[in-house]
Amino acid sequence: MLDIRRISTSRWWHKKKNWITFGFFLFLVFVRISKGSIYKDFYYFISKPFWPGQSQKEVILQSINQESLINLNLLKKDNNRLRQILSLQNISDNDKISAAVISRKTGSWWRQIILNKGSKDGVEIGSTVIGPGGLLGRVKNTSLFTSSVTLLTSPESKVGVWVDRIQINGLLVGIGDDYPSLILYSKDADIKVGDFVSSSPASTLLPPNIPIGVVQSVDDSLKANKKVKISLLAKPHVIDWVQILKVKI
Amino acid sequence: MNKFFFKKWSIFIFVPIIFLWHPNWLGFLGVQPYWPLFWLLPWSMINGSINGIIFGLFLGLILDSLTIDNNFTQIPGLILCGFLFGRIKLQSDILVEHFRYGLICCFGSFLCGMLYFLQILFKNFSDSFFLLFIPSFQNILAEVFLTGFFAPLICSQLLRMFRVSRKKV
Repeated sequence: MLDIRRISTSRWWHKKKNWITFGFFLFLVFVRISKGSIYKDFYYFISKPFWPGQSQKEVILQSINQESLINLNLLKKDNNRLRQILSLQNISDNDKISAAVISRKTGSWWRQIILNKGSKDGVEIGSTVIGPGGLLGRVKNTSLFTSSVTLLTSPESKVGVWVDRIQINGLLVGIGDDYPSLILYSKDADIKVGDFVSSSPASTLLPPNIPIGVVQSVDDSLKANKKVKISLLAKPHVIDWVQILKVKI
Repeated sequence: MNKFFFKKWSIFIFVPIIFLWHPNWLGFLGVQPYWPLFWLLPWSMINGSINGIIFGLFLGLILDSLTIDNNFTQIPGLILCGFLFGRIKLQSDILVEHFRYGLICCFGSFLCGMLYFLQILFKNFSDSFFLLFIPSFQNILAEVFLTGFFAPLICSQLLRMFRVSRKKV
C-alpha cells in the first residue's frame, strides 16, 4: 500500500503568512484591551508641534517674568525708602563683600566653608553670609586672609527664622545632615509642606527677610512642639561665590 | 636623620591640607574617610603606645584648630586610637596585614565618630536630642566604610615609608 500522507510543506503552520496574520491579530487584541493607548500616545507625540497656544504661552510667560522683575525692583526701592524713614538697618551694595569659597566641608560632622576674604578685607565675626538662593550661615572666625563660616546645617548652628504664611517664629537647628530642622514651640502651628522660611525680623543674629528654605516635611509626633525639615534654597556644596553682609544687627 | 624628621613633620602639613581640601570625588554620602587615622596607625604601630598618644594629641590639636566647632573636640578619640594602635604587633604575612589595616581603621573611625557624636549629644541633650540620631549614625557608618576601604592602600605604604626612614636613622 502506498502511504498517502500529505507533503509536510502544505500544513498551515508552515506558512509564514499565517503566522504574520496571527501576530497581527494578537496585536489588535492587545490594542483592544488597552483601549487604544498606543494610538493615543503616538498621536500625542506627532500632534505636539501643532497644539494651539504654544507660542502664545511662551510670550505670556515672558511678559509675566518681566512684570515680576519690574515689580520686584519697585518693591525693593520702596522697601529701602521706608526703612530709611523708619531709621532701620539697610543693606546697600557697599555693605556686601564678595568672596570665593576656598575650602568646603559639607558632609560629616564638620559643616563649614572657608572664604578668601578675612579681617584684612573688613570681615567681622558674626557677619551674615548669603549665596545664590539665600542664607548660608554666619562667620564664626576670621584670620587675616580667610574667614570660616558655620553653615546652617552644622550641629552648632541655631538661628531664629520666620514662617511668613502663618506669621510665626521658630528656631532653625542644624543636625548634621543637609536638611536642618525647624522647631516650632507651638503644637497648633498650621505649617505645611512648601511653606517658605526666611530669617526672622525678631532675630538678633541675622538681618530680616533673607530667604532660607522651604518646608520639606512636618513631624507631628512630639507632644510639646512641632519639628519640621527644611530644604535650603542656597546649596552650600555647589556654591563657589558668596556675599558677606557687613551689617551687624 | 633630617629626612626622617622631614617625613615625620610633613604629616602635620599634609593631614590638615587634605582635611581642608575635602575632595568630594573621594567621598560617600558627602562624607570623607577619617584621614588622620591613616597616619596614626602606622606611626603608633612602629613607635608604640606612648608615641601614639602624643601623636594623636598633636593631630587632634591641629584638626580642632581647623574646625570651627568650639564645643566639640577630636582629641579624645585620636589619643585613644593612638594608644590602642601602639599595642598592635606587626604581622609578617602581607595579605593578612592589609586586611588588618582595614579592620583596625574601621574600628578606630567608629571609636572617634562615636566619641564625637557623644559630645554633640551631650551638648544638645535638651532641645534636639532625637533629631540627631539618624544623620549621625549615617555619618559614622559612611566614615567607617570609607576609612576601612582606603586604609589597606595608604597605611601599608606609610608603614613601609616610616620603617625605611627609621632604619636609615
